[in-house]
Amino acid sequence: MNAIILSAVWGVIMMFSSILFKNKGAFKYIAAIGLIVLTVANIANTYGCDFFNINTHEMLRYTRFGLFFNTIAFLCTLIYVLLSGKEIEKHGNYVAEYYALIFFVLCGVSILTSFNNLLMLFLGIEILSIPLYILTGSDKRNLKGNEAALKYFLMGSFSTGLMLMGIALIYGGTGSFQIDVVRSATLFGTFSGISFLEVAGLLFMLVAMAFKVSAAPFHFWTPDVYDGAPTVFTSFMATVVKAAAFIAFIKLFEVRIADTSAVINWGMLLSLLIIATLLIGNITAVFQQSVKRMLAYSSIAQAGFMLFAVFSLNDFAKEGLILYAVAYSLATIGSFAILAKMKDITFEGFNGLAKSHPVLAATNTIFLLSLAGIPLTAGFFAKYYMLASVVKTGHYLWLVILGVLFAAVSVYYYFRVIQAMYFKEGDAQAEDVTPGFKIGLIIVAALIILVGIYPQVVLNWLYF
Amino acid sequence: MGVTSILFWSLSALALISAIMVLATKNPVHSVLWLIVVFFAISGHYILLNAQFLAIVNLIVYAGAIMVLFLFVIMLMNLNTATEPKKNLWMKLAGIISGGSLFLILISVVRSSVDMSQKSALVKDGNIGLIDTLGKVLFNEYTIPFEISSILFLSAMVGAVVIGKKN
Repeated sequence: MNAIILSAVWGVIMMFSSILFKNKGAFKYIAAIGLIVLTVANIANTYGCDFFNINTHEMLRYTRFGLFFNTIAFLCTLIYVLLSGKEIEKHGNYVAEYYALIFFVLCGVSILTSFNNLLMLFLGIEILSIPLYILTGSDKRNLKGNEAALKYFLMGSFSTGLMLMGIALIYGGTGSFQIDVVRSATLFGTFSGISFLEVAGLLFMLVAMAFKVSAAPFHFWTPDVYDGAPTVFTSFMATVVKAAAFIAFIKLFEVRIADTSAVINWGMLLSLLIIATLLIGNITAVFQQSVKRMLAYSSIAQAGFMLFAVFSLNDFAKEGLILYAVAYSLATIGSFAILAKMKDITFEGFNGLAKSHPVLAATNTIFLLSLAGIPLTAGFFAKYYMLASVVKTGHYLWLVILGVLFAAVSVYYYFRVIQAMYFKEGDAQAEDVTPGFKIGLIIVAALIILVGIYPQVVLNWLYF
Repeated sequence: MGVTSILFWSLSALALISAIMVLATKNPVHSVLWLIVVFFAISGHYILLNAQFLAIVNLIVYAGAIMVLFLFVIMLMNLNTATEPKKNLWMKLAGIISGGSLFLILISVVRSSVDMSQKSALVKDGNIGLIDTLGKVLFNEYTIPFEISSILFLSAMVGAVVIGKKN
């Protein structure tokens, strides 16, 4: 409960701080303090110290997995705020309000990592999405941003409608909103206590969740929204928010898939979803001219890899998802922070960056290598755990081979940026960067390599 | 066939027919008006379930506030002339096939739920939809979601102000 209440309260504090402070630069530090407070409170919660003793009627249930993901989300947001705070200040006069919205998103994240009731899932998804619609459209004079915000809002509302329909059908089938409902076979005696209403509801939920994590064929909003939104907010959307949606996805289906596997072949359904996502994400990313749009498509491809966790649903999958969240969030936040500083965001714009800004080029190389999953970076172990979890289930081994093939395809488009930075002549124009920004990038890159060498640094926290 | 079941079937028929009319009419203003009829029919169902409070709230909020908003938006955007963009044939065909398969699945799902027809939990206890029962449930069992939804509304309000104000 610590994380949920404190993040909402700090959102309100951020709103009031805009009355007290006129200097835009101050908000970044207030937000950073808030994130540190949240992290500490959440760690206290993990080790059994809950400040608020509230009877939630089993609607929220705290697990080590969920609480640890909260910590990761808060720390990633802290890094994001410190690295990209300057960029947020460039978008209009409502900096404090943007931070408030980011804190509300974090509140949604903490609900999604602990829900035990479909009603809470719905509230969590909505608290996560509505601030994002606004952040997408925060650059009011940019037509592309407006289009992206409207598109995101309309399609997001539609998928929310599907989710509500699914929840209603599941309620009809089981008579309860709890996700771990105990079925009595005598009540609806069709298939050992499983009603088809519930299965249909789960299919609707699958579509809605696949939309939120931008899995193909429900990905159509992703490139436009990620491309149209201001770069700093894209980086938040593509990392913390997406990983949280995956945690909700795995939490929901972990219980339900085993229960309903008698009547529906989830393995085949999910593997079709994975193949479509990997195929569309990777192949379309190859043909992009703008690095921002390439990263948008590559984030679809990464979602395909994270879906392996929903597919296999074992301990390996959960460890892998945590590791993936860390690796992917760090690399993407860093990569987008550099992208936001570039004058020209096409591939040509990166030509010769190594000469003019060696630190940016070197750290960006590490981020892109991690995204591609090259050994010695965090991305490698993230992908390895995902594939290993599928191997451990013992079925659908061809899915692993396809996964490796698509990872190889992804190397092509990530290396195009590296090639442009190091081996092409040109004068890449980047804005002036402060030494603090460079140090921040180096720290993030160092963290990626640390996790890439000792993945246990992260994973041990799941158990101790 | 008692009065209740006659009412039930006629309300259901009314709801279904007007829901189809929402989609079938070309004029958006007519669609909205048919949607109001749907809400009235559903409110009738709530009254049959002895849930007067829900019935009234459904009318006030949906048929009243939200539909008026819809009408305003449609009239302000001047959509009342039927201007439909041309869709290509493949798009229509794909829509028909996917929509049709979904329809088929849902029909089979509804048919399979025959065995729960006698086990409806909602009407067993006649006062479940009354305002005092609702209030007690809302403030005992469902306090947490009730309070948390305030964060949702707060973030929506902050967003509306941020989007609406001049830079």
